[in-house]
Amino acid sequence: MPRVLARSLRRLTARLAGAVFVLWMVATVTFFAVRLIPGDPAQAVLGGPGSQASPEALAAVTAEYGFDQPVIVQYLAQLGRLATGDLGTSYALNMDVAPLVLSQLGGTLLLAVLALTLAWLIALGLATWSTRGGTVASRVGSSLEIVAAALPHFWLATSLIVVFSIWLGVFPPISTGGVAGLVLPVLTLAIPLAGFLGQVMRESLLSALESPFVLSARARGESERGVRWIHALRHASLPAISLSGWAFGSLISGAVVVETIFARPGLGRTLLNAVTLRDVPVVIGVVMIVAVAYILMTLLTDAASRLVDPRLRLA
Amino acid sequence: MQAELATRSRQFTRARRPGAAEAVAGVLALFFLVSAIAPQVLAPGDPLAIHPLSAFTPPNFAHGFGTDESGRDIYTRVVHGTQYSLLIGAAATAIGLSLGILLGTLAGMFGRVVDFTVNRFLEVLFAFPGLLLALLFIVIFGPGVATATIAVGLSTAPGYARIIRAQLRSVRSAAFVEAATVLGRTRWQILLRHILPNTLAPLFVLATLGIGQAIVWAATLSYLGLGAEPPTAEWGAMLSAGRTYITSAWWMSFFPGLFIVLTAVTATVLGRSIDRRMRHA
Amino acid sequence: MPAPIRRLFATTAGIVALGLLVAGCTPSGPNEPVGEPRSGGTLTYASGDAEPSCLDPHVGGNFPQALVSAQYLESLVSRDTDGKIIPWLAESWTPSEDGLSWDFTLRDDVTFTDGTVFDAAAVQANIAHLQDPTTLSSTGYLALGKVTGTEAVSPTVVRFTLSEPDSALLESLSQPWLAIESPTALKRSQDENCAAPVGTGPFIVESWVKQNAITLVRNDEYSSPPEDAGHSGPAYLGTVIWRFIPDSASRYAALQSGEVDVIDNAQPDTIVQAAQSDSIEHLDSPRPGASNRIELNSGQAPFDDVRVREAFIRSANVDDAVSSLFQGTATRSYSALSSVEAAGVSNAALFGYDPAAANQLLDAAGWNETDAAGYRVKDGVRLSVEFPVSTNQSIPAEQSVFEQIQATAKETGFDVTLAPMDLSSWYAALASNDYDAVSAPYTKVGPDVLRILYHSDSIVPAPSGYFANLAQVNDPAIDELLTTAARATDAAERTSLYADAQNRILEGFYILPLYDQQNHYLLRSDVVGMRTLPTVAVPTLYDAWLNR
Repeated sequence: MPRVLARSLRRLTARLAGAVFVLWMVATVTFFAVRLIPGDPAQAVLGGPGSQASPEALAAVTAEYGFDQPVIVQYLAQLGRLATGDLGTSYALNMDVAPLVLSQLGGTLLLAVLALTLAWLIALGLATWSTRGGTVASRVGSSLEIVAAALPHFWLATSLIVVFSIWLGVFPPISTGGVAGLVLPVLTLAIPLAGFLGQVMRESLLSALESPFVLSARARGESERGVRWIHALRHASLPAISLSGWAFGSLISGAVVVETIFARPGLGRTLLNAVTLRDVPVVIGVVMIVAVAYILMTLLTDAASRLVDPRLRLA
Repeated sequence: MQAELATRSRQFTRARRPGAAEAVAGVLALFFLVSAIAPQVLAPGDPLAIHPLSAFTPPNFAHGFGTDESGRDIYTRVVHGTQYSLLIGAAATAIGLSLGILLGTLAGMFGRVVDFTVNRFLEVLFAFPGLLLALLFIVIFGPGVATATIAVGLSTAPGYARIIRAQLRSVRSAAFVEAATVLGRTRWQILLRHILPNTLAPLFVLATLGIGQAIVWAATLSYLGLGAEPPTAEWGAMLSAGRTYITSAWWMSFFPGLFIVLTAVTATVLGRSIDRRMRHA
Repeated sequence: MPAPIRRLFATTAGIVALGLLVAGCTPSGPNEPVGEPRSGGTLTYASGDAEPSCLDPHVGGNFPQALVSAQYLESLVSRDTDGKIIPWLAESWTPSEDGLSWDFTLRDDVTFTDGTVFDAAAVQANIAHLQDPTTLSSTGYLALGKVTGTEAVSPTVVRFTLSEPDSALLESLSQPWLAIESPTALKRSQDENCAAPVGTGPFIVESWVKQNAITLVRNDEYSSPPEDAGHSGPAYLGTVIWRFIPDSASRYAALQSGEVDVIDNAQPDTIVQAAQSDSIEHLDSPRPGASNRIELNSGQAPFDDVRVREAFIRSANVDDAVSSLFQGTATRSYSALSSVEAAGVSNAALFGYDPAAANQLLDAAGWNETDAAGYRVKDGVRLSVEFPVSTNQSIPAEQSVFEQIQATAKETGFDVTLAPMDLSSWYAALASNDYDAVSAPYTKVGPDVLRILYHSDSIVPAPSGYFANLAQVNDPAIDELLTTAARATDAAERTSLYADAQNRILEGFYILPLYDQQNHYLLRSDVVGMRTLPTVAVPTLYDAWLNR
């Protein structure tokens, strides 16, 4: 199958080139955006804003980090480092960005993957239940989804802490390791997302159940359960799968809030601190890692779509 | 918001008279509209008037929704805040949609090179955490209702652009467009007379759905201390302030939260209802 | 030190009465007799302050560093609750007649936790480290501004030579930012030293997992508690876990559920709730140095006119705001200095709420027209006040105080714009003179903080644009008083000079004092014996033990 192979290879190359381009642009946009922010980066090195760095110290830092160079020189230097896989040294934390970001990645990925999985389960459950149960169930399901999707993370998180940590005392309000500490952060991220995915799934499930291929499956005498689970759900999950790539990105935004509230180490909290402190290398580092994760996630969801929908495999 | 693309694909088998949900949504929409345009009609008080000595009053006869940490009446503030929140919701959605239409049309209509470029651009925007985009924008341009609105609008634009591009592509290959091409219409004529109208109609629905999300986004910026300037009675800012006192004064966050959810639900229900009607028109 | 990054996400504020304010350094709750201290156990401390980027407070020098480093580093001297300087690593000290050299006699029985002996050479190494530009010290560096050199007179006597007399020297040396570290450890790279500084304190830094926790273990050889400590010998606690929980609601919930034993930056409403709880105690310990106050920028219109400054102060109903928002957890201040500073001068008469007087002052100052929105106008310009608010440094209750001041000042015709900002933007706004009013906390031991905040030299911006004199007080008489006081060798003369300076500052209506810099700790009731160091009000866990 050399032709198929060649085609796959070409597609892979195009994908890779696209990914590199995206990463380059992400780095560029971040670099210049952070430069636009008021505040002196040398301050970030010298113990944060407002520290009264001595003129000597400030001069030393400015020279060492090249803050006195033209912006374009600093940009090229940054790009050069990135090209060799060097994320640089954090201004504020006195350590290399790569190990810092990688050490925070695991916690956030775990949170995002668990939240995505739970959101899928809730959405699937709600969708199948509410499409089977007639108009009342459908309305209840639909309302639950709309309300869930309209809950701000920070408010939901606090409400969960009040109910489950303070009143009931079943889950800890901070998440510093251990399974119990994961429950509330994951719920906080999963519930609004489930509202989104649920709306998508229920609607496409309904339309799938009325589509010709389901009718024909029924006509062939397949059981209702079989029809529902094998044909309809498979069809209905397609848009939700392609949404998952986007959902993953939005989970990172959610992680900024959730990690702060639950005092969980992770990329979101790192990012927020870094923006506050104008720690340019860390901001770029986190954004790059998130971009890579997003690109991988898009590839995964593409593959999943092909797996679920045979028609796509031919395309 | 992408979610709603799929939502829209659902075909309904019969047109219906307004149901109970639609009736309630209609009444709520009216309430919100009056609140936004003439809040004095519904809440004659001053939303900014402080009464430090009656701070943290639970809901009672004089203060139906209770008072906040400065003794301001929460009902009055929620009603007067409608204009800011609806403005943030509507304006942010409008910004996101306009940008989305621009990018989506470019990508969907002008050949492979433009499509490729715009697509890469969208991928870049997608690869950014939306909150970071909003955060950077606010930190650069300063906080306030206007910047928060633009920030939220910007971060929702790529989602709309993708949907519009997909929509355009499917409309472009539709029979009536092919017919117009055969008849020798120019590209611009086809775009303006045939394709855009068919693409933009469903966007109205998308817009109603985006409003609630935009308000929730703006609320998150308030939580991060970068939302509306105090003492503006914006719902997100009120919710964020109330969250601080959630164990001692639940009403401070409950009512603004309720209004955010109600707006989102109202917009969604009405959006779907209009969608159905347009389909059967 | 301009109390930096106090909390990244301060949230919460509050309610209900709770007397016990003053410089109270013991828990306010019922602390029944609990029997003999028990040794061992692990205490978890949750800080709302930002995680330091370096655990060595010589580097930079901010409050979060002081909080944690007080557990493993010690200073030459300390200060007791009466404000008297007491021995610590130095047993005694004598200034020369001209005040230009100081001899410190050091304890001879102390070793650092890496085995290095504490002696005159160690002190010299620390002063050199602080003054070395590559250390990037700011707080410690500034405090040693008059120190030109050190000399080891003998292994136990170290001599400081000064460029001019420094009446604040002992107070400066008592601060955690000038703590003494092992000279052997200081020779390591800055990265290594930041990760695990070595001192003489009751605990040792065992590990630091960034963005998670610092683990401290007991120093079993510990022998150098300050005079005012509750016991001698090693600490009771076996291990201390030091966490960072930026969100105040989560922090309090973690304390309630017993996940953590002590929290700092407790918000007013949680303090009030804790007062009703049997399982949580409250420790209130205002920070030294300046009070929390609103500074009016006298360097530009409209506050370059003293009548407008007074009018603003008279138009602000601060008392009602403080009592409704802090509900007894904060006491109104009428002083430029913290209530723990004995040299503080308080003058309530200057800061009464009096809208009628405010109106008259504005009329007299020419702001006698009113525009459609009800704001005063002069020569077509609205009487507007730009007020940047740091959401990191002002807790929600304080931000609400500003909102109430905004509302009451509006009645007199001031258009106050509150602009919430993140920390870096806020400093940038100040550096570019984009403010008319601002609230910036400043912590330093002793009244010398007045010189930093109100001497005209402090208007000159540092290379970073930072300047400490945010009220832009530029009064030669005040300069003279502050400079003379900083050189005064006689304690009574010093106090009287600072009193004169404060009176001029207060009567010039440059500042609107609100309350002390709030510094509240909440602890589980079974944490016994925790106190704060009277120097900068950071907790010390040396005497603490777990009654469980």
